[in-house]
Amino acid sequence: MEGLGISLPTLLAQIINFAILLVLLYLVAYKPIMRMFDERSRKIKESIEQTESIKEQAAHAEEEAEKRIEAAGKEGQELVARAVRTGEEVRQQTQQEAKRDAELLIARARTEIQRERDEAIGELRKEFADLTIKAAEKVIDRSLDKKAHRQIIDKVLKESTTLKKG
Amino acid sequence: MPKRGCLGCSFPVIVGLIVVFLALFVIGFIVGPIGSSMLGGLGLPSWLSVPRPDPKLPAEVVFHIFGFPIANSVIAAWVTIIVLVGMSYAATRKVKLIPSRLQSFLESVLGWLYDFCKEVAGEENGRRFFPVVTTIFLFVITNAWLGLFPGFGSIYVTGHEGEHIHLLRPANTDINMPLAIALMSFIFVEYFGIRSLGGRRYISKFVNVGAFFRGARQLFSGKLKAGLSSMFTGVIDIFVGMLEMLSEFIRIVSFTFRLFGNMTAGEILLLIVMFLVPFVVALPFYGLELLVGFVQALIFGGLTLVFLTLAVTHHGAEGH
Repeated sequence: MEGLGISLPTLLAQIINFAILLVLLYLVAYKPIMRMFDERSRKIKESIEQTESIKEQAAHAEEEAEKRIEAAGKEGQELVARAVRTGEEVRQQTQQEAKRDAELLIARARTEIQRERDEAIGELRKEFADLTIKAAEKVIDRSLDKKAHRQIIDKVLKESTTLKKG
Repeated sequence: MPKRGCLGCSFPVIVGLIVVFLALFVIGFIVGPIGSSMLGGLGLPSWLSVPRPDPKLPAEVVFHIFGFPIANSVIAAWVTIIVLVGMSYAATRKVKLIPSRLQSFLESVLGWLYDFCKEVAGEENGRRFFPVVTTIFLFVITNAWLGLFPGFGSIYVTGHEGEHIHLLRPANTDINMPLAIALMSFIFVEYFGIRSLGGRRYISKFVNVGAFFRGARQLFSGKLKAGLSSMFTGVIDIFVGMLEMLSEFIRIVSFTFRLFGNMTAGEILLLIVMFLVPFVVALPFYGLELLVGFVQALIFGGLTLVFLTLAVTHHGAEGH
């Protein structure tokens, strides 16, 4: 034992040294570093969880947005269709109205024309009768009795129905 | 700046370094005992040669505190403690989530050892064993590496009777240091074993007489064959327990002499090499000693960890 150098005081001193080192390192190195490790792993776990939830939220939001866009597109299409339909209706309505107006106008014009023609024919006929009588007076140069007079006029008028028809 | 270069130096610098190196090597060879016996002294100054090493196994006592002798290896251990604690203190004074350089160095070392503990002993036990194992590892490796610094084995103080005493001696090369760590390792192994298995069950690992007495009882109650076979098993159990106990104490011896032997051999190897050729040649051996110090520290810590793990695990032969 002496040759190897084992001596109790030195052995004791080294054991105490080891114990002191263990305690000091525990206080100065292991405890803070272990706390750091725990803290860091906790932080990492937390941030991973956070990322996960954010990702989820983002996916959710995207889905929502897509849904909304789709809905908006559908709505827009509907609106356009409705507008087109309304336009078509309005067009048809106006067309019909115009047609009706035109027909009305044409009908009125026609009756007017008819009336004016009738009027003109009536006037013409009266004048023609007077003219005929005058001419007959001159040709015959005598006065007929009233009865013969009337007969002649009617005969003339009957002959002139062709005029009315024309 | 020249683009071409070697080892980060420009060529003139590297050539100069090589010349200095070779010169040192030649001078070292000439002043060493081999060269001087071949060539004679050549008139070189005598302070260049290294005195013949005179390794002594027992550590020398440098001074006494209240009659308590303080050996030079104890002083070296104090230096180690101061270095380790000082560095750790500097690193963890302001612990930050984003570490400084020193903190991240300490973290990487401790993290590596922590992972090692967890790998061997499991999550929960690894955490319990971590301080002991890490302290052993750090103490051994720092003792070994600090012993390579200049000053160890070269600073003398004068003792009471006028003799020269080394002020510092690598702590691992004094057998008291390995023995102290081995004893601490032993104490912690027994402590954790008893704490996690309970005193009775832990001791029953070593003194396993249950089967023997059961067999004896069966023998007395007349069941001859069953009793005899039980007693036979009991004898084997007792023998295994004794072996187990013996191995527990052999561990201390093997721990002690493995570390002591490796470290002392390395120290003597360095002394001899430096005596033979004072310059340059010792460098590879220094590299070797760095490796040996690391390996020894890893073995000491790792074996302690394994023994701790064995001590707390349930012994298979118990359930009978």
